[in-house]
This record gives sequence, structure tokens and C-alpha cells, in this order.
Amino acid sequence: MLANRPRILSVGTSTPPNGYSQQDLIDLAKVEDPRIRALFTASHIERRYFYLPESTPEGLKEETQGELLEKHLKGGLEIGSQSVERCLEPLGLGPKDIDYLACITTTGFMAPGFTAHLMKHMGFRQNCSRVDVVGMGCNAGLNGLNPVASWAMSNPGKNALMVSIEVCSAAYVFDNSMRTAIVNSLFGDGSAAALLRADNRDEPMFAPRVLGFESHIIPEAIHAMRYDWDDDSGKFSFFLDREIPYVVGQNAETPIGNLLKRFGLRRRHISHWIIHSGGKKVVDAMKYNLGITDHDVRHTQSVLRDYGNVSSGSFLFSYERLMNEGTVRRGDYGVMITMGPGSTIETALLRW
Amino acid sequence: MRPLETLTYEESGEIATVTLSRRGHGNRINVRMVQDLGAVCDHLEDHSQAKIVVFRGAGKVFSDGVDFADFHPDRPIDIHGFNKWEKINVRLERLPKVTVALVDGAAVGGGFQLALIADVRIATSRATFSLPEVRMGFLPGMATYRLAKYVGLGHARRIMLSGEEVTAAKALELGLIDEINDDLDAGLAACVESFGTVHPVTVQLARRLLNESFADSFENAIGHFLAAQHRAVTQTAFLETLKRAHQEEG
Repeated sequence: MLANRPRILSVGTSTPPNGYSQQDLIDLAKVEDPRIRALFTASHIERRYFYLPESTPEGLKEETQGELLEKHLKGGLEIGSQSVERCLEPLGLGPKDIDYLACITTTGFMAPGFTAHLMKHMGFRQNCSRVDVVGMGCNAGLNGLNPVASWAMSNPGKNALMVSIEVCSAAYVFDNSMRTAIVNSLFGDGSAAALLRADNRDEPMFAPRVLGFESHIIPEAIHAMRYDWDDDSGKFSFFLDREIPYVVGQNAETPIGNLLKRFGLRRRHISHWIIHSGGKKVVDAMKYNLGITDHDVRHTQSVLRDYGNVSSGSFLFSYERLMNEGTVRRGDYGVMITMGPGSTIETALLRW
Repeated sequence: MRPLETLTYEESGEIATVTLSRRGHGNRINVRMVQDLGAVCDHLEDHSQAKIVVFRGAGKVFSDGVDFADFHPDRPIDIHGFNKWEKINVRLERLPKVTVALVDGAAVGGGFQLALIADVRIATSRATFSLPEVRMGFLPGMATYRLAKYVGLGHARRIMLSGEEVTAAKALELGLIDEINDDLDAGLAACVESFGTVHPVTVQLARRLLNESFADSFENAIGHFLAAQHRAVTQTAFLETLKRAHQEEG
């Protein structure tokens, strides 16, 4: 039954060239408020990568919504094409070999979407099928992986590519409020690409099959994470409720339980947990609600430390670290978990 | 549960009893016993309604430690085998149940380690505890991690490096055991009574935070506590406590 499931054959990641420590940002943005300074320095993030506006003696130059959208496209094409190259290169593939392209983003809205721009920018075939997943937030990587896996499964031997492109610095508002400070201290820019294919000739490759997905939404927490228009700043602004990390953690058992039950598995059978680096609180909540350890979330925590929350592609940064570590063995099971607005928990089951 | 060779398992009401049972072999721990403990863990995690798990030894010994019959001097030693033992210890240590070790006679090596992972240790006056591994040229598993937390570094170093036999009286004085009682069943009954209602999730969370308290910074620990507390107070056990409190007031 599972023989036709697609495999994740390769993953590539990318960030903008310039990295900043939390202190760098305090200095560049001229943050004076001690509460906001404390928020930046207390976080479990050491470095993030951004496209920052030019620094002036008064702080970072303010960008209009138009400038932010332009940055979203331009920066997104730079990091997006890099992650695609890094994903395809080890397989000896190029853009012309791709039959299905899905792009995931939340940090800016535009039509046509990233798939059209990326195809023009990189020279994909004109008959490549495509879909844009827009506005679904940090969980969207798995919302995208689900149809990509289904497409790959119903088109055996064809190459399906998913690319998450998040230019979080195009979604920033600097207004010295705690609301925006929480967001500004957490998110970073990053892109991740994954190539999926259902082809039995790939059996010799050390690549996991995607066995299934399970979703969960918490309707009563629909407002807890949102990216909406802020009249005061004349921009879109992201909001994160203080309690939501714990509420998400509390709900995580439900989709994980349902997912594993469908495959006759228990949590102890899962060797690898690939969890979205949403922030320290939500990672703690995952640990204490799912009974998983610091070791289980080592990549989730180190990705948070080294890149911040890069939104929908974050879990693929962790996946890449896991694969590079060399600890995965054939037959191992892994679970992917992403969390975001909705409030949403998305899960997937892998087997190597 | 699949048939057990080296253990007996009984469940009566809220109490499950796991008895190390290799008569004639001092209840020594061999590969099969590790597998049997795995089957018991599967059952306890997946099916059992028991809230208290008791470990004891058959006959007049708790366990004489590792059985060298499964190791051969002319074959390479598989470090993975040691890891299997540690994984079982961790699973037993994390059960959503209260665990009690009832120790009569000798608890040597792995037997001592099993007693250390329990939440409560009750021993008879003739019980003894020893870790002879270092004197034999190997290490007493993750007792290297757990022992000092009970007795402090000084006592732990002496006990582990010398392999000395710690008497029950001395073990009580060091905080290695909680009680000496020559009637272990009576001791267990009193212990069960004192625990009252066991809330599995809360027990598991409290134990985890305590175990982590020796190795974590306060800043990390308070984050962990808040995540754990959120989980605890959203369980029915706490909601019922709240309801009762309000009824009593009203």
C-alpha cells in the first residue's frame, strides 16, 4: 500500500547574505526601550539573516508598504533560486527537469505569484504545472508538502518541487510597541526547497517516503496569530498572542495521536522529530506535551538559534541538519510538525 | 503481552508488580530480561490501567547485577547492547505511573540501577546496595548520572569507585532509600496510601522537571515549568480539584 508513496529526495536552504546578532539589531534600529531591548537579548536566537533597509543616525530607514513588497519579490527571488539550486544540484537536476512547482509564502502578496516569477527567473519549462500557497503562515510548509506529495504520487517518476520563500524583513513594522517587538525579535528571512518523486528506481537512495499527513485547527484561537492591516502604520503587521504557544502545545497530541494511529504506531516508535522552530515557548510546549526530549528538538533549537523563525521553511532547515548529522537509519520513522495561524498544527509521517 | 521468561508480571487493581525472577541465577540481568522489561513497558504504556508499578526480586535477592553469560571474551562487545539497557531504564523512569522498588537482599549493579530509577525505594534491614562494576573494569551504566543526585558527589564517588556494600541502615542515612521495613508488603501498602490519588500526567511532568533540575539553568527551567504547568492545569484532574474547592467554599 505504501510502495507508491513519494520520497523527499533532496532539500536545499538559503538565507540573505547578511547576518545580524540581536545586539546588532538593537544598535541598528536604535532601540531605547529597556523592555524591548530585554526581549531581544533574552531570546534564544543568536543570529538572523535579513534584507535590512539602510541605517541612519535615527535608526533603520522606514520603508513604505510598496518598498516592503518590492523587497519581498526581489529578496525572495534571490534566496528562492539559491535554495532551488542547492536542492537540485546533488540530484544532477535543473529547473527544466521540474514538472510541478509549488511556492509557499506569507510575507507579501502579489499576482502573479512566486511560481511565475521563479519560473521566469530560473528558466523552468513553460508547461511546468504550479500552485502558490499564500498567506498560510509558519505551518504552510506542510500544507504545501501535502498536495506536492499527492501530485508526485499520481504522477510517478515526475519531479515535484516545493519552495518556501519567506522574506520576514518585508513584513516588519518598527513602531516601538511590544506587539511588533515580539515579532521583530523572532523572525528571520530564509528559503527552503524540497524535491519529491514517487519512483521505485529511487529505492537505493537514502531518502524517506512521505507516508501521510494529519491536520488540526483550533477554531477558537483564530485570532491568536494573524497578519493583518494596521491603519496606524499603514502596513501589514503580524500579531502573536502571548498564550498561543501553550495552547498549540496542548493541542499537539491530537493530530500526532491520529496520525500515528492510522499507521499502527506509538510515539516511542518515532526516532526523529522535525519540528518548526516557532520560538522557545512553543518548542517547550511541544516537549512537555508530547513527552519528547531536548535531544529530540536539538535541530529545532539550533535552527532557531542560528536563523530565528524563518516561517514556513523552518522545518526543512531542521530536516537538512538531521540528514547531515548521519544518525538516521533505514527503517526509522520521523514526524514533521509545523504550527501557525488558524491556529493550525500540521503533521506528516516519514519513513526512511 | 508476549510470554515472559525472566520476570513475572501481575496486575491487581491500581498496582502492577514486576518481579525479577531468575531463580538459581540471583535474578541477574541478561539480554532476555532486557527484552522482557521492554514487553512490560509496552504493556504499561499502551494497555495497563495500573497507577503504581512495583519492582521486586524473587527469593532472597533483588538482583545480583549483570549476567556475564551473555558476554563472551572472544567476541567483540556491542556498545549498542548497553544502550538497550539504558533505554529500558529511561522508559521505566518516564512511566506515567508512580514506581516503587521493594528491595530485599542484594541490589547489585543493574539491580541497584533499577532501584535508582524508581520514585520510591523501600528496603528490608538485610538489603544491601553495591556497584562493583568499576572494580571489575567497566561502568555501572547511567548510575554514573543518577547516583550523585541522591547521595551527593562525595558519597557517590566512594560507593562507585570502591564498590563497597552499602547496608540498608547506611543507605537510609545517605538518602539512597526512603524507608526500612522488614514487612515490604506493609511498607508498600502504607506508601500507596500516602500517595492517595495518582494523576498520571502530573506525576510524569513533576518527575521530569525534578530530574532536569540538576542540569538546567533557571532561565530554561522556568520556561519548561510554564509549559508543563499549562499542560497540568488543562487536564481534568486539576479542573476537578478546582470544582471541589469551589463546592467546599459555596
